[in-house]
Amino acid sequence: MKKTLYCCLAGTLLLAALPLLLSQGLLNAAIQMLIAALFASAYNLLCGQAGMLSFGHAAYFGVGAFATVHAMNAIGGTGLLPTPLMPLAGAVGGLLFGGIAGWFATQRSGTYFAMITLAIAELVHSLAPHLKTIFGGEAGISTMRMPALGLNFGSTTQVYYLTLVWVVVAMALLYLYTRTPLGRLTLGLRENRHRLQFLGYNVHGLSTLVFAISAMFSGIAGGLQVLSNESANYVVFDPSLSAAAVLNTYIGGVQVFLGPAFGAALMTFFGYAISDLTRSWLLYQGILFVLVMMFMPTGLSGLIAIAARLCTRHGLGRVLPVFLLAVASVMLAASGLAFTIELLQRLFSQEYRSLLQTHPDAAWPAVMLLDQPWRPGAPLTWSVPALLLAASLWCYRLCRRRLQMLCVYDEQMAMTAPVTIQHGEDAA
Amino acid sequence: MEQFLFSLMNGVIYGLLLFMVSAGLTLIFGMMGVLNFAHASFYMLGAYFAYTLQGMLGFWLAVIVSPLLVGLIGVVVERYFLRRVHRHGHAHELLLTFGLSFIIAESIKLFYGNYPVDYRMPPSLDFAAFSMGATQYPAYRLLMGGIAIAMFIVIYLLLTRTRVGIVVRSAIHRPSMAEALGHNVPLVFMGVFGAGAALAGLAGAVAGAFYTTNPNMALELGVMVFVVVVVGGLGSLVGAMLASLLIGIMTSMAVAVDSSLADLLALFGAGEWARNVGGLMTLNLSSLAATLPFALMLLILLVRPGGLMGEKG
Repeated sequence: MKKTLYCCLAGTLLLAALPLLLSQGLLNAAIQMLIAALFASAYNLLCGQAGMLSFGHAAYFGVGAFATVHAMNAIGGTGLLPTPLMPLAGAVGGLLFGGIAGWFATQRSGTYFAMITLAIAELVHSLAPHLKTIFGGEAGISTMRMPALGLNFGSTTQVYYLTLVWVVVAMALLYLYTRTPLGRLTLGLRENRHRLQFLGYNVHGLSTLVFAISAMFSGIAGGLQVLSNESANYVVFDPSLSAAAVLNTYIGGVQVFLGPAFGAALMTFFGYAISDLTRSWLLYQGILFVLVMMFMPTGLSGLIAIAARLCTRHGLGRVLPVFLLAVASVMLAASGLAFTIELLQRLFSQEYRSLLQTHPDAAWPAVMLLDQPWRPGAPLTWSVPALLLAASLWCYRLCRRRLQMLCVYDEQMAMTAPVTIQHGEDAA
Repeated sequence: MEQFLFSLMNGVIYGLLLFMVSAGLTLIFGMMGVLNFAHASFYMLGAYFAYTLQGMLGFWLAVIVSPLLVGLIGVVVERYFLRRVHRHGHAHELLLTFGLSFIIAESIKLFYGNYPVDYRMPPSLDFAAFSMGATQYPAYRLLMGGIAIAMFIVIYLLLTRTRVGIVVRSAIHRPSMAEALGHNVPLVFMGVFGAGAALAGLAGAVAGAFYTTNPNMALELGVMVFVVVVVGGLGSLVGAMLASLLIGIMTSMAVAVDSSLADLLALFGAGEWARNVGGLMTLNLSSLAATLPFALMLLILLVRPGGLMGEKG
């Protein structure tokens, strides 16, 4: 317990030191990562802990964003609600809207619940462009971070610290929530609804409350987004944002508290880092998600937990080759896949096709990838990804055999251990 | 009057199209308990396959071959993806199909680009069936409606009148009993999944030529199909038909109505007040057309949570 606390403190300190280490652009990405992490954690309260799969969480994020933008314009950072406290407006907005939507959605559970949340999100998404007074139409609503408490919030660094404080406080609250009796009941909602009902709890009221709390924290994330962008547009209601929450949360792993935050931060970072290198980032994200769902339902954080368990059981020295092989296999597979996708993307792109149409008789021209020309007809072009994938498969096989050997060795040790004791007794 | 009749017919045809997609979805759900998020993606794949094959095989052959290809993909998805995660529960399966729908949409963007493709019906089908007053009614719409109705009749007869239908229905209600009696239930599941995907593919191949074929068509239709399935009652074919028609007619009629809540309240003398309130009150019904189905769905869930033809509760 104490160790975890120290780890969290160290992590927070590291995050606080980031502005000294990073450039402005990366700091902006860090703000987005923090917001995404909070949003995913809020979402995880609903889907991971309460077992209610929502496909429309962008609605609460968006409502929080617009509540904040209106509050900022109305109050202007003066009086009792200075600029740093503005996400509170988002929290209230999220809580209220989440309460209403949650009352509808939690009438049913399981698949029906998922569809209702989707429908509510689409309802808002289709309505928002028409309500110009509230959502500002195409242009959206813009606002200003007014100076307050001696700070002017002009630099990215100040916004970063503001976001960091909010995210850390909100995450701490979310964590403390899991330790309360209500937090335990939330797990009960996931495990056995009927039993809770039988024990005399008001299950519908409880589900609505959990839904509203999750929506409240999503609203805070939306408010932080507005604080960082100084504007809000109805694009925040887009289904792709809800989809991102689902993907990030499950890629990170729903069973560990920090899993979704980890997944969201990782995915947002990659989205930022890779966005100018590839046009198919969403495709990679989708493939990663499907792989996680099929082969490691506990997500990336679950994978880390498995690795840690292997370490303690067999010792780092003996597990290290297995890890190295696994990492090599994953890297080879990823590069092979990425190579294929990028090659296909270039071959099917509009530019390439129009190039083909202008010279219909000539051989297919080469495409540039990694600063090298690759001819689509040449066997070398396609043997590179094939070789990479084959090497990955070979590494995987090797890794698996080593792992099996470790387990077999352990079993043998366990079998031989009692035998030696018996010999001792015989001798006695 | 003409306009009323035309928008009524448009609504019916759109409803029939919705039915073509939701029929497969509701059958799959009734049988396996899996809500297939990728179902509307199969619809999109049908349209894109038909577009690709049209150049090689001609329109009609493309419309026949592309659903078969989509059905094959459906079989692969069931056999190699869904069956693997079955033991993790239905939520997991739902998430997996969600991820697959993501991959399909992004792959379409990769291969065909993120813009509508030029998939059209052949000129031989591009004529007016009849005209009323000054407006003409395209024959292709009638053809789409005819295909959907024929499909409904075929599925209905197949399920109620044939031996295969009996096995499928028994596998829906009591899978373990059907298995104990010697029927290959996993094979039936795979077949139903493939057939459902093929139906969605057929709908896409036919409708894609009339409406636009773009990478967002799956999302646009998919949400509407979910609404249909919830309103009609999960697992009910007749309910899906009713709900599709209801939603189709409702949206197409709403587009033609150019009045708002304020106009309605004006009948009671509160028009001035409503206009001052603004917001929702002064919004024209025509611009709310896309929103109405979702409102209907929430209403149904409140009044009759099981859907129109679904079981209670």
